[in-house]
Amino acid sequence: MFTDFFYLLKDVGIPVSPTSFLRLQRALSMGLILSLDDFYTAARSILVKSERYFDLYDQAFAHHFKGAELKDPEAFELTEVAKAMLEQWLKNPKEMSELLGVDEESLKKLTPEQLIEYFLERLKEQTEEHHGGNKWIGTGGTSPVGHSGYHPGGMRVGGVSRNKSAVKVAMDRRYRDYSQMGPLTQAQMGEALKRLRNMVPVGPMDEVNIDKTIYQTMKNAGEIEIVFDRSLRDRLKVYLAIDNGGWSMDPYIEVVQTLFNYARAQFKDLKTFFFHNTIYDYVWEDPARFRKPLRVDDLIGHDPETRFIIVGDASMAPYELMATDGSIHIEERTTKPSFERLRDIAEAFPHSVWLNPKMEVEWEYTRTIGAIREIFPMFELSLDGLEKAVSHLMKKN
Amino acid sequence: MHETQQTRQQFTGASKYVLDEELAQIVNISMALEMPLLLKGEPGTGKTMLAHAIAESLNMRLIVLNVKSSMKLVDALYQYDTLTRLNDSRFGDSNRDVSNIEEYIRMGKIGQAFVSDERVVLLIDEIDKADSDFQDDMLDVLDQMEFDIIEIDKTIRAKHRPVIIITSNAKKDLSDPFLGRCNFHHIAFPEPEMMRRIVQVHFPEISAELLDHTITAFYRMRDFRNVEKKPATRELINWIRALKADPDFQVKDLVKGDIPYLGVLFKKSPDYAIARNMVSRMRL
Repeated sequence: MFTDFFYLLKDVGIPVSPTSFLRLQRALSMGLILSLDDFYTAARSILVKSERYFDLYDQAFAHHFKGAELKDPEAFELTEVAKAMLEQWLKNPKEMSELLGVDEESLKKLTPEQLIEYFLERLKEQTEEHHGGNKWIGTGGTSPVGHSGYHPGGMRVGGVSRNKSAVKVAMDRRYRDYSQMGPLTQAQMGEALKRLRNMVPVGPMDEVNIDKTIYQTMKNAGEIEIVFDRSLRDRLKVYLAIDNGGWSMDPYIEVVQTLFNYARAQFKDLKTFFFHNTIYDYVWEDPARFRKPLRVDDLIGHDPETRFIIVGDASMAPYELMATDGSIHIEERTTKPSFERLRDIAEAFPHSVWLNPKMEVEWEYTRTIGAIREIFPMFELSLDGLEKAVSHLMKKN
Repeated sequence: MHETQQTRQQFTGASKYVLDEELAQIVNISMALEMPLLLKGEPGTGKTMLAHAIAESLNMRLIVLNVKSSMKLVDALYQYDTLTRLNDSRFGDSNRDVSNIEEYIRMGKIGQAFVSDERVVLLIDEIDKADSDFQDDMLDVLDQMEFDIIEIDKTIRAKHRPVIIITSNAKKDLSDPFLGRCNFHHIAFPEPEMMRRIVQVHFPEISAELLDHTITAFYRMRDFRNVEKKPATRELINWIRALKADPDFQVKDLVKGDIPYLGVLFKKSPDYAIARNMVSRMRL
């Protein structure tokens, strides 16, 4: 029973095991599952083993049992919310236009379709601007849209109420925040920090701990037991270079800086540098890229064991990367094309990565990303990407 | 073998624990399938409390194994008290029989759960602290429901399969074989509505006004950006307790944006600094 559903879960990328599927069958045959609601909860707890996949599960469930389309998540949510906004508008045009900060009259002229379009536009703007999670489509705010504010089409966006069918619960996609897809947000800070905690060097267990050995030996009534400890290693130095030019990077700069600053204690040294689009002769220690320039040539002489992490979208005009005088800043005259500079850095710091807030699927569409990937191993600035980047940085060679 | 007994026992919640239906059902299914239930979630979502609540509502004894990073599996199963035996053999002033090793075997928490005469709830708290070897070995034991005591070559079998609740703060990812043997649930942070009920359970006599304003303020503070450790349920409850204990405190202070006892909510100094800053801005 429900074999299709099982394979659907597998197809959407949830690691489900046949054993757990059999276990679900057992639960079914024991008469523990009497309704679709029961099935939703039971199947999730038995089949899905991490909250990261709860969101995918919800989508698959809604698709399988309701025929809801498996849509690109962004589009799904926006249309739902836009519909809700339309309904709200129909009920109370005055309040809605006030909230949107536009003239009631100008909106009244639009047809419903145009209104939906308009709302969608507004929503897209809002999501872009407030990627860090501010109040527009947020929770508990005064906004007409979203959780605790308004119930689009009779269903809540999130919330705990269970007075509704499992399909609707699934369609709510309460676990979106836990899903690992999408760029890093403030909300995922804690999880991201845990990924960074792995950035500590580990030596082999090869030092005899005399005190513990004596203690254990006594405890064994004289039977000698030798206790080994890990040999101590020096903590890491980390250099963080952030592309802080251009609005495309704005939402991520703060996230990345907070992230590494919190992890600071575990590093021996953490330095942050700034650049715009790509690195030429200088990087800057101040975010304005003005007061404290640092020559890349000097930087290259630093300890090669330093972990060098570059954060940037790596998207720019090809000449910026390839031309000798490529910088778009008129006052910045350069002697070497940027890609050579990057190569120098990559050689000077064998442990280096490039973190890109653009998602991997988009990478092939930008030429400069491809060029930079040949120099630096590139990872997504997402929980998954961060995990991979950390394990890459911690490799021995 | 205890089928009838188990199906009769259904978990519906306990006096100090507010349970959502979904979780109750997962607990019941795990009990019926005789599978350990792995609970994940941020600190303060009541993972540990759940085990206490199950034990209370099913009228079972609760045995808690607090996992520590240095722990070896055998510590959780049994201990062979060599030191006492050595002393006994030298001084001979106890009435234990030195030649009988069994007298020096003490059961660890898992061992206690196995030899107990009635069914118990076994809470394995913060499993993620231990290394993965510990986790896998432990699951073997819990699967087989038996372990060997090497020193006396004896196998201990569980008299009754305990109800096993395992909690994890997700500091480390658990291994796949481990996850494969558990049912899984992630407890999300309670929504404001749920939180009201939780607070009411702890403070039955709380005024609606205080409840409203504390909860609104609390969720606003949870939204502060750049905070590493957000205040959780436990902090909220302690905070309300502090507010109630302060004779000078009035609910209207909260409305004004005055937040006393910020230190109860934010316990890390950088977080505290950020919060204080944000609160003073809120007041303006």
